[in-house]
Amino acid sequence: MKQILLSGALVASSLMSFAQAPVLAAGEYFGDLKARHIGPALMSGRVGDIEGHPTNSDVIYIGAAGGGVWKSQDAGVTFNPIFDDYCQSIGAIAVSPSDPDNTLWVGTGETWTRNSVTIGDGIYTSSDAGKSWKKMGLEKSERISAIEIHPKNNDVVYAGVLGALWSNSAERGVFKTTDGGKTWNKILFVNETTGCSELIMDPSNPEVLYAAFWEFRRTAYSFNSGGLSSALYKTTDGGKTWNKIHTGFPAGQLGRIAVAVAPSNNNILYAVVEAEKDKGLYRSDDGGASWKFLNGDFGLVVRPFYFSRITIDPKNPDIVYKAGLSGSISRDGGKTFKGLGAMHSDIHDMWVDPNYSERVLVATDGGVYRSMNYATTLQRIEDLPLSQFYHVSIDNREPYFVYGGLQDNNSWFGPSDSPGGIEARDWEVVGVGDGFRVYPHPTEPHVVYSEMQGAEQVWRYDTKSQQVKNIKPYAGQGDPKLRFNWNTPITTSVHNANRLFIGSQFLHISNDRGDTWKKISLDLTTNNPAKQMQEASGGLSADNSGAENHCTIFTIAESPKNEKVIWVGTDDGQIQVTRDGGTNWTNVTVNVVGLPANTWCYHIEASVFGEGTAYAVFEGHTTGDFTPYLYKTTDFGTTWKSITTSEITTFIRSVQEDFTNQNLLYVGAENGLYITLDGGAHWSKFTNNMPSVAVHYLELDAKSKSLVMATHGRGIIILDHTELLSELTPKVLEANVYFFPTRPFVMSEKSSFGGTGTEHQFVGNNPSDNARISYLLPKRHTFGKMSMEVVDETGKRVAKLEPGKQKGINTVEWGFSSPAPKSAKGKTLAGGALFAPRVKAGTYTVKLTKGTETFETKITTIYDPQSPFTLKERETQQQVTLDLFNLTEDLAYLVYQIDTWDAAVEEHTKGQSKPAKNLVSLNTSLDAIREACVVTKGDNYVGAGEPQLREKLGDIYSTIGGYYGAPSSSQLENIATLKTEYNKQLAAFEKLKGSDLKKFEAELTKAGKPAVVVKPKEDFLKED
Amino acid sequence: MKKILFTLLLAFAVSFTQAQSATEIISACKEAMGGAAWDKIDGLRYIATVEQMGMKIPLDIVTMRDGRMYTKISFQGMEITQGAYDGTTVWSTNFMTQKAEKADDETSENTKRTCKEFPSALFHCADLGYTATLEGEETVDGVLCHKIKLDKKTALAEGKEVPNIEYVFIDKDTKAIIMAESELTSGEAKGKIAQTKYSDYQEVNGVYVAFSQTMGVKDGESQAITFEKIEANPTVSAENFKFPGE
Repeated sequence: MKQILLSGALVASSLMSFAQAPVLAAGEYFGDLKARHIGPALMSGRVGDIEGHPTNSDVIYIGAAGGGVWKSQDAGVTFNPIFDDYCQSIGAIAVSPSDPDNTLWVGTGETWTRNSVTIGDGIYTSSDAGKSWKKMGLEKSERISAIEIHPKNNDVVYAGVLGALWSNSAERGVFKTTDGGKTWNKILFVNETTGCSELIMDPSNPEVLYAAFWEFRRTAYSFNSGGLSSALYKTTDGGKTWNKIHTGFPAGQLGRIAVAVAPSNNNILYAVVEAEKDKGLYRSDDGGASWKFLNGDFGLVVRPFYFSRITIDPKNPDIVYKAGLSGSISRDGGKTFKGLGAMHSDIHDMWVDPNYSERVLVATDGGVYRSMNYATTLQRIEDLPLSQFYHVSIDNREPYFVYGGLQDNNSWFGPSDSPGGIEARDWEVVGVGDGFRVYPHPTEPHVVYSEMQGAEQVWRYDTKSQQVKNIKPYAGQGDPKLRFNWNTPITTSVHNANRLFIGSQFLHISNDRGDTWKKISLDLTTNNPAKQMQEASGGLSADNSGAENHCTIFTIAESPKNEKVIWVGTDDGQIQVTRDGGTNWTNVTVNVVGLPANTWCYHIEASVFGEGTAYAVFEGHTTGDFTPYLYKTTDFGTTWKSITTSEITTFIRSVQEDFTNQNLLYVGAENGLYITLDGGAHWSKFTNNMPSVAVHYLELDAKSKSLVMATHGRGIIILDHTELLSELTPKVLEANVYFFPTRPFVMSEKSSFGGTGTEHQFVGNNPSDNARISYLLPKRHTFGKMSMEVVDETGKRVAKLEPGKQKGINTVEWGFSSPAPKSAKGKTLAGGALFAPRVKAGTYTVKLTKGTETFETKITTIYDPQSPFTLKERETQQQVTLDLFNLTEDLAYLVYQIDTWDAAVEEHTKGQSKPAKNLVSLNTSLDAIREACVVTKGDNYVGAGEPQLREKLGDIYSTIGGYYGAPSSSQLENIATLKTEYNKQLAAFEKLKGSDLKKFEAELTKAGKPAVVVKPKEDFLKED
Repeated sequence: MKKILFTLLLAFAVSFTQAQSATEIISACKEAMGGAAWDKIDGLRYIATVEQMGMKIPLDIVTMRDGRMYTKISFQGMEITQGAYDGTTVWSTNFMTQKAEKADDETSENTKRTCKEFPSALFHCADLGYTATLEGEETVDGVLCHKIKLDKKTALAEGKEVPNIEYVFIDKDTKAIIMAESELTSGEAKGKIAQTKYSDYQEVNGVYVAFSQTMGVKDGESQAITFEKIEANPTVSAENFKFPGE
């Protein structure tokens, strides 16, 4: 009994201690910390499906392979993302024929099943044209190939589910709902290896549907297309019964079948059939009852797994488009074809405007193209940042540049900050083909290393001289053939700037930038011959592109603490470490407890905190295992601790540790970015301007603290200011207001000239170069006053700022401006007089008032260290600026006095048919002074009046104030002239004050009228 | 026939339950924001000085229950009116010429359709013919909110009638309106989501008014304004609203 009590007490005690452990739920405190997207969009990325509104040609939807759903409401001129909160891999989009303004369906999971394709997570619907979405099941479908909606009953929907690519799956086939997606019935299922690759509804009879079924399978090292289960089916009773319609089709095994029915004649169908023999285009003129072989051209039969889509002109059944390497069009009912116009290769879908057949949109590996002439000539849509990065690295410049390779879109580098934003012109190509790992030389970033698929070529490219050299290592005498992964690992070294690593099945090292190589390992893989039969890959259509190369090294990590410690991870699940620079290797795979055998080691991150510390990411999606695997070792791999939780909902590919806070880690998952503040005990998904996109790689810039993400579908996304996250500790969360510490803010002196992008080209956001005051609120401020101001060391307020109010991190920016001078009233705008001088370098106090409490922090501003100006030159500039500021206010006060007196004269003479001569003269004199001081006529454009003192002063004041060096002699001369002119007008006014105005004042007194009240200058200047 | 009647009744009951739920939330929101005291408010005047890049720009905004409104900005002796509506004409001052110009037909028509929403379309959506439905819950700025969809019928956009939908997010605890969201239906930003966030609620003549509003585009830039003073039932000359003429 005692034992039971003791056990009970122990359990209770451990539960209590568990309950009391502080939970650092990062997601509650992200606040306004927000990711920024820098694209690029100039090469865009793979798009798999296009759908349009049936009657409104302005409305078009596109589904990207990894970049979500985008909507255009202007016929493709601009697009906006409408699906960012959900899975970004899109298989099919459908617009309701009966409610096209509102009802949409999206099936997730791209169906063009290349090696890098990812997974979907079900089917979604929107009842408000994409503003909001609801998931409607089919969560395990992985890939949805087609959605057909009944034209008269919006609740009846059919879904073609291709299903799992990497494993058997029962959730595939044709599904039907009759209650708007609440429930689904599987109405056609073949087997666990065969899915529905296309589903088409007869445009005239919704009870008739055609379903193509495809037997297929991919592994990490092979691909098979085709089998005896592939078939084309037809139903004429809404899916109750299905029949194969193969009369005229080739016998034997079939592969992927593309099928389409002519919108203008439902008896005419086209099918492109992958087969053992007689593969090609077939046509039926009797609704599929019989088929006739027409054409086996290369453009029709090429790579069926990637290009099985047919689109028929909505009005002419003889005009047929076929997806393909370049895309084809027939105008004679399929007898002959010619290529589509010039565009990026790999055509996946064509959408023909149902209202104007000549208008065609084409989905490619390089984004979407638009044509007005049947795809004869096309223009790329330039605001779709769908680029699919495999990897990213950064250089040591400030601001840093990013480097990475893209699916079928070369290798590139571009800036993280550029005048006017990061534009298409800012990106430079440093490699062709499919791009993967790209690295700058650590100390000479104009030298860039890049590669193409399977390391067919590995380049060292000098971007200054434009010299390029293939530095690929070759097998030495007696060596076996080198096996390089499709996405071959290359990396540079933090210990030796000229060092380079590359992995085949061996680890190769070069200490002379790739000119010579040395093998520093034996085969580190399992070297399993059964996984090295890529020549046999493809099934009915051979497909040995290198994409299935296996038993290769995939990740290499040199310890930043010790150059002799090197980690290697392989695609067949091995993790090996050397502690002597490659002489001896230890396979530590067996120490990773709980990891299924041969799970791909995708990334190893060697820690900055200890030479024996590393993180290893494994992922098993190529076996149908979507578990996130992340382990940490602190003893060179002798033991590993799993540091993932169920809060990460899918598989992951990369990890990045913070360089100052060991407990802060970032994970790139297939559905976005996850962050932990407690070393992996709890994870939160980061969603602030961060889509649910696959993050393939992460890099952290030690200087700016920016986390740079290589996304496979939305380009490069950057999370700046991660130093705020590294400060989040339980103690900080307890404060009413916690100000984050700041580094001195550099007052940048860059020009404000913008870029050159055209109106609808994508432009990536720059980081802010303002002062950033960040603080943490434990809850949102909703009731009562809250304000913020910046005061200088004398206590003078220099800025009023609008504080953020949300729970968590809030950041308020200040552009270093002090108040602008009060300027004289005039008829028009004097822009220069509105100039607000920049504050001096120094320490400023930020006061945050929340209700009755005030919280303070101090910030420091410093001059731009890149600036050429001396302190003395700055002091001169600041003094002259201050003089002009004061002169601007002096002039404002002078004009105020003139206006006040003039108004009094006008009031006094109001109603008088013939005012006294002295008053007329006084009025004239006041007008004359005013006209010399400010513009009193004209407008703010080409009808502007001649500039007067206010305008001239404003011009020189803003010119001097906006340049941080000493004023030139001609500028000083100009100022002297203006001062003389001001003094002249002031003297004229003072003269009036001593004579005519005095007389006028006396006249007012005599008439029993109130005296003219002229505010003292101090009071005048205080007014807004 | 019985079956049809039953189905209709069921459908009605379902929609009533849904509508009632949204109605209850809206009613609680209105009550928390002042309840019947709002009935005595015929207009609000918002005074602010916006400070941007060191410049101070005084702002005077008036909105009236009868739909009239204006925004006046003053600097360097110029007074610029924007988005004024006198009950007939929507107009603004052209900055270049400083002369009043009428808004285009669509803007005018859309203003006329929504001008009777004061103080909030939410508070009397049924009177306006709008439909409110509860869409669920969402967290905004760390606050768990009811998400109310307000179907405001249609608006004109580039010559077409398009749905005019606004989503209003109401704090589940305090019942304060935290955010309103709607899709921009015309112009360069067409398709993007406009957001307005409300905070700094304070009492004015028995009602709670947000003294701070932050307007922007979802995931994009935003601009906050904090009002120094909000006056209920302001005395404003009709001339301030009136289109000055061609």
